[in-house]
Amino acid sequence: MKRELPQDPMLRDLVQMARNHQISRRAALAGVGGTAAALTLASCAPADEGQVAATDVSDSEKVLIWHNWPAYMDEDDDGNYPTLERFQAESGISVDYRIEIDDNDTWYAKVKDQLELGADIGADVACPTGWMASRLQNLGYLQTYDNDNMPNKVANIAPSYLGSAEDPDRIYSIPWQAGFAGIGYNKQAYKDATGKDAPGSMADLWAAELKGRVGLLSEMRDTVGLVLLSQGIDITSSSSLSEDAFMAALDAIKEQIDAGQIYNVRGNSYLDDLTTGNIIASTAWSGDITVINYEAGTDDDPEPFGFIFPDSGATLWADVFVTPNGATHKRNVEELINFYYDPANAAELALWVNYITPVVGAQDAAAEVDEELAENQLIFPNADTLSRSKAFRSLTGQEEQRFASAWQNLLLGA
Amino acid sequence: MSADFVARGQDLELESIRKEFPGFVAVDDLDLKIPAGEFFALLGPSGCGKTTTLRMIAGLETPSAGRILIGGNDVTDQKPHQRPVNTVFQNYALFPHMSVEENVAFGLKQRKVDNPQQQAQAALEMVELQHLAARRPQQLSGGQQQRVALARALVNRPALLLLDEPLGALDLKLRRQMQIELKAIQMEVGLTFLHVTHDQEEAMDMADTVAVMNHGHIEQMGAPEALYDRPKTAFVAKFLGQSNIFVGEVAEADDAKLAINFKGNRLAAPAARVEKTKGKVAIGVRPEKTSFHPEKPASDPAVNTLGPGTITDIRFTGVSNQYQIEIPEVGEITVFAQNIGKSPVVELGAEVWVSWKVEHSFGLADLPTGEEEVAE
Amino acid sequence: MAFVALGPQAPVASQKPTKTGRVALYLLLPGLFYLGLFFLTPLFSLILTSLKAPSATGVIGRYDVALEIGNYGYALGQYAPQIFRSFSFALIATVIALAISYPIAYFIGVTARNRPLLKGMLLTLVIAPFFISMLLRTFAWKQIFSNDSWLLNTLKDIGLMGADSYIIGTDFAVIFGLVYNFIPFMTLPIYASLDRLDLRLVEAGHDLYANSFTTFRKITFPLSMPGVISGTLLTFIPISGDYVVASRDFLGSTDTAMIGNVVEANFLRIQDYPTASALSVLLMAAIVILVSAYVRRSGTEDLL
Repeated sequence: MKRELPQDPMLRDLVQMARNHQISRRAALAGVGGTAAALTLASCAPADEGQVAATDVSDSEKVLIWHNWPAYMDEDDDGNYPTLERFQAESGISVDYRIEIDDNDTWYAKVKDQLELGADIGADVACPTGWMASRLQNLGYLQTYDNDNMPNKVANIAPSYLGSAEDPDRIYSIPWQAGFAGIGYNKQAYKDATGKDAPGSMADLWAAELKGRVGLLSEMRDTVGLVLLSQGIDITSSSSLSEDAFMAALDAIKEQIDAGQIYNVRGNSYLDDLTTGNIIASTAWSGDITVINYEAGTDDDPEPFGFIFPDSGATLWADVFVTPNGATHKRNVEELINFYYDPANAAELALWVNYITPVVGAQDAAAEVDEELAENQLIFPNADTLSRSKAFRSLTGQEEQRFASAWQNLLLGA
Repeated sequence: MSADFVARGQDLELESIRKEFPGFVAVDDLDLKIPAGEFFALLGPSGCGKTTTLRMIAGLETPSAGRILIGGNDVTDQKPHQRPVNTVFQNYALFPHMSVEENVAFGLKQRKVDNPQQQAQAALEMVELQHLAARRPQQLSGGQQQRVALARALVNRPALLLLDEPLGALDLKLRRQMQIELKAIQMEVGLTFLHVTHDQEEAMDMADTVAVMNHGHIEQMGAPEALYDRPKTAFVAKFLGQSNIFVGEVAEADDAKLAINFKGNRLAAPAARVEKTKGKVAIGVRPEKTSFHPEKPASDPAVNTLGPGTITDIRFTGVSNQYQIEIPEVGEITVFAQNIGKSPVVELGAEVWVSWKVEHSFGLADLPTGEEEVAE
Repeated sequence: MAFVALGPQAPVASQKPTKTGRVALYLLLPGLFYLGLFFLTPLFSLILTSLKAPSATGVIGRYDVALEIGNYGYALGQYAPQIFRSFSFALIATVIALAISYPIAYFIGVTARNRPLLKGMLLTLVIAPFFISMLLRTFAWKQIFSNDSWLLNTLKDIGLMGADSYIIGTDFAVIFGLVYNFIPFMTLPIYASLDRLDLRLVEAGHDLYANSFTTFRKITFPLSMPGVISGTLLTFIPISGDYVVASRDFLGSTDTAMIGNVVEANFLRIQDYPTASALSVLLMAAIVILVSAYVRRSGTEDLL
């Protein structure tokens, strides 16, 4: 359970904001101090060819360090992590769980020099988003997991995650949690502003009634992906999602920003904008809406915020376990992954974090605990739901650079 | 600007001026009149209220009660910049971010006078500093800064120039020199000077009139000689030079003289030089008016005699010798004798008698501290 | 950087090194070492990086040593509005902060000079914001300025704000946040100057026929110039490079990005280190030029 928030709305929001920003603040500070260091390191980093995995010492050292995103682990009232504690008790491996990732790019900026050197990044396992994992894989920075050590994973991973060209058997990166990006909105405010119950398409975000009250996620693949989908682009296809198509989608977004339709483009803090009423609707992550409903809901109105898939479809993303070459406890990590691919453990986790579990059987396990949540399409989506979501195709290094650069310049107003 | 600027100084009148600070009265219903063109010194120890009085005249403090008139105009409610008054401050208060000339021209510019630079130059010439006009004040010596401060005030030709211990920060030699210059300048420009100081020599040297201030009021006022010759209170007698003071019950009083019984000795003063004729009276004499004798002088009604006593200390001060004579039952007496070869040659421990002419005695209006009259 | 700019004002030792001179030199060594290690080395590295070209390997965030002057052209061309905005915001915020801080500093340093209790309390109040992280304080303002806050609702109710208007993400919000965060940096140096101000000089001004306004203009203000200069530098320089207040996550929006935000995005989001470095060098150069011109012009050598 999430820790109780203070009742005073102002205080509550501040605490909430502080929680959301715990890491961005640290990252921001690290950015300053890290600048000079990164520059110095960048100039002497060798090429990546021929990196080899560090010698595994898991047999002698029953430890591992895990870098993950905030609010991504079940937590009891005392701030302990029940599933993780159970894993430690069962396996005898002590886990140092650190909330170190707030943003894929800033996380990459922090660890890229160590990755390039094949050195220890300070973690044996981290959970960046899939596209970042493929970048790392393509650069040769990752160790491969041994399926023989993870029978639960082999048995329970959802088939949709298998068979990709890059990693057909999921030995470089293994899903941790997945989620959708669609449209989140304040139900009452949306109705007051537009007279309609809920938005249905991306075009509804550009409605004149919502001028200045629309938010966008700063995560490129989600916001641009949703716009691309609304423009009829198949974001999974490299022929359909061309550079021209991408830039056209950016132009469409820029048009809305310039017209004053968009209130702001933010990372995690878009949630503050939703809960404080700065915005009425926003591109949003599915799990977040469940969480703010849990926090803002009252007995009269248990779900003040809604989440929908635009008619053109939602984007689908997954955060994945990766172990860089410099890590020396891969075997311990495999044990950890195996533990979380046990349906009972996965269900316990999913019911808390409200994201999509990649573990088949978790839904059944969850149903024994909470029937209603087990039917929640945002946590346990059925085939139909999944068919309405698309994952942004992987980009080449040059595409990544040009797309990201254009996106950031758009956000800078440059 | 309501102030008139005049060729000559104007008179200053303080009517029952009073200044109270939380917990004490700094100036206690002070009345004072300074005639135009006079060099007037306000003399007193620190804390006597003299600086507060000056600041009230300058407008830097607001009186709790009373009126201030300059040239007959009531300036009590005027702001400092509206008053025809300028001040030479104790530490000169020269503006450190301006040149000497800018400092001197400051007041002229505020009054929109024509050719302020030219006048400032002229003022600097008067104090012989024209060659330093471009310097900054902190590049000047103390004496030079003092002259700049003087020029800065004088150049405005105020009706009244206030000097707040202007020579206090200078060494002795420079102080003497500046005293002479200041006096010369005052006579040359003919302005009214009010000089506040705790240095009695400085006051007596320069001022036409000296007012001795103590505890917020004026004890005595007059020409320096008169004040010295006939102090009227114990405070004045002691603050202005040194005095030997003897207290006793009045033994006889008639038109010609008053005599007290001082521990068995009869000490007399001329009736014209006493302030009080009843009860306990203090009679004093200046040390240089006394002399001592190796033998008891012949009894003479025109001479007061005390003794015998013992010389306990001899100090050579150049122009005179200073003797301390301890007389049993009577106490210590100070005697100055000029070194002109007339005094008897005596040594420490010698037995002597002290005497002075009755006409040199003065009778005080009050008693020295510790000898207050006991209610009968 | 301010200190570099102030360099020419510092007295230069021209004598031959005497014995004491040599001791002074030895004492200076740790400082020089520190300066070399923590200022010159990163500066060199920064300039080096600003001239790099993308690696032939095409790996994101990898660059090769080159002499790519064009990085500067790109940085200037692409981000001219953000550069201009940074200095405009810094200038406006500095002027506003000065206007607010001076009376506060005057009150504490002069009016309350003989009231130690009041003075201590006021100084504590000025410093108090430092007890809370600047980020949290900025969050608080974000909260206060949010559309459904009591402040905006009140302003809208009494008609001072249009129903559709908002504050967050506007130039006003960013400048407000900058002023708010940097006021102590302006107030404290001015206070330090005014606290030392010899009030007899003010009295002398009054005595020499200057009214209160003239005395302030000709005496008090010029004498507090060292504090004003330090305060404006301590405010202007960090504001020019600030990347928190104007960021989209705080009080800014896509319309308010300053150089700091551009550097942050280039550095951390898209790993475009050469552009980020070129911008940093440009920012540094611009500040050094502006600040030296300012210090020279304000002619405070005598007072410093």
